[in-house]
Amino acid sequence: MMAEFCGNPAVEAGEVLMPRKRKFDRSRICVKCKINPGNLVIRHSVYCKGCFTPLIFTKFHQALEPYINHVSVGPRRGALKPSGALLIGFSGGLGSSVLLDLVYQRYCANVGSDNLKGGREHPRKNKVWQKIYVCYVEVSDIFPETSDRTAQIREAIARYDGFELIPVRIQDAFDRTWWERVSGGAAPDLAGLPFDLGGGDSEPVAALQTHIRALPTPTAILSTLSTLTRLLLLYTAYSVSASHIVLGTSLTSLSISLISSISQGGGFVVPQAIQEEWFPQFVQRTIGDTSWNGEVRLVRPLRDVGMKECTAWVWWHQLLVVGKQRIPVPKQTIGDLTKNFIIGLERDYPSTVSTIAKTVGKLAPRGDSRVRCVLCELPTQQFVQRWKSRTSIRSFTDDASSMDTATSSLPHYLCYSCHTTLTSKSARSTATLNLHSSNSAPALNLPMWAATRLALELGSEQSVGPGAPANEIWETKKLDDGGMKSLVGEFLLENE
Amino acid sequence: MAHLKLKIEFGGGLELLFSNQRTHFVAIPSTVPQGDNKGQPADINFLTHWLRDNLLKERPELFIDTGTVRPGILVLVNDTDWELEGEGEYKLREDDEIVFISTLHGG
Repeated sequence: MMAEFCGNPAVEAGEVLMPRKRKFDRSRICVKCKINPGNLVIRHSVYCKGCFTPLIFTKFHQALEPYINHVSVGPRRGALKPSGALLIGFSGGLGSSVLLDLVYQRYCANVGSDNLKGGREHPRKNKVWQKIYVCYVEVSDIFPETSDRTAQIREAIARYDGFELIPVRIQDAFDRTWWERVSGGAAPDLAGLPFDLGGGDSEPVAALQTHIRALPTPTAILSTLSTLTRLLLLYTAYSVSASHIVLGTSLTSLSISLISSISQGGGFVVPQAIQEEWFPQFVQRTIGDTSWNGEVRLVRPLRDVGMKECTAWVWWHQLLVVGKQRIPVPKQTIGDLTKNFIIGLERDYPSTVSTIAKTVGKLAPRGDSRVRCVLCELPTQQFVQRWKSRTSIRSFTDDASSMDTATSSLPHYLCYSCHTTLTSKSARSTATLNLHSSNSAPALNLPMWAATRLALELGSEQSVGPGAPANEIWETKKLDDGGMKSLVGEFLLENE
Repeated sequence: MAHLKLKIEFGGGLELLFSNQRTHFVAIPSTVPQGDNKGQPADINFLTHWLRDNLLKERPELFIDTGTVRPGILVLVNDTDWELEGEGEYKLREDDEIVFISTLHGG
């Protein structure tokens, strides 16, 4: 008798696809005013052109204004009194162009005019930000294929009154002069230390190029450039006494960067990927102190505005978008693959992209950490290396003992993500560099903030007393049953 | 053969693929001249292929993907989102203004 099979319904009925949802929910009339025919579909809701502009303004100030005062005054909205200036991170791309326009329209245009609607404390009645800076980070010096766009950026910003441009170059991260300027103190003498961080490259461009050449993958190059740009913006903000940085990360870009960051080991800093409170390593903070000591709050006011809405804003407000600089690396990076996936998803299932950002936004790491990575200055899990050694096979031999050169190796000072960035291909790994053996391992150029902190940490380590020797070495040893029993023997209850 | 006169605009960097010219005035056949849809009234799907074959200068993969406009390009038909007009199946009319804006120029 012939056996009966269930068959494969997917093959028999052709490919089973998820049914595509209708692009808009109800009618073609605007869901807001319920009068005008709609012009734009935003995640299944239809808006007319007249309601679109106030909608974006509402999303913008809801995402920014609760975070302007250093200490929140609770749910009741009071006067907006930032502690310092505002710095806008400007890439020339879509999101930052929209952000620039929104900041100008909300806080600069027609300030002080009596004819405007709004109460006594409305942002337009009183100037909220005493000073607004725009910072642009130029990368063309390290990629000869690209052209310097500072002049175009300057032209784009000149169309708005009241913004001051601060052009920064990506290699400034390796520039002692820049570091002395932004940190307000002299850079430490790295040459006097028992290791080589500078790699002999005194020129910032050469130092950065050496650093990039040592990176193992195109993904690592883009990730590093992103980290350098973020830190350059943060230190620049600190140097001009800015209490806030705003970035033009749209909802779509945020979803892309969150998925991409988690894929690269950045799960521990998911909250900081959305909003971040940062202070320089040399600022002493007291727990419980609510006064402003130069901390910088990084906010993404477009985190509820999708890429499609940004595009519509640019078109309907006739903004000029310079365009983001394309970094000449192969396209198959984690960031690009994630971008292609999310953009395709946004077309077919637009609400899903919003769900990514909102769901990931609810995640928080287990436990808190006050330790920060020397490279990205984001919180890092402690004892990452020890944890990694327990969860991965590092040797095929049955080695009962392993040495953890805890404080003498660079990985000890790195977060999981930065360590992965430097070591994702072991053949060109850079993070195995032992800081105390300058003559054997190749030197790794590090940005000024990382080099300074390492110099301080290792310097203080060497000056401590005999009770806590420098170059402390931790040894992990696997014990057999007898060894374990003898170790805990004095705590065991004797058999009656 | 009857033709439709249309105003086509490109933004967000897409104009670079079309001779770096933002605005084009074109006349396209009012019905599809060949293929599976021969004789059907011209729609946006036909227009995108016509633009690829007649105006596009480089890198067609940045404009068309799997037979339709690439994800990440916002299409406006007479200043209205094409999703409200039936997307690629919108039947073109004389003097329509069709805008293609790329959203993929960074954040």
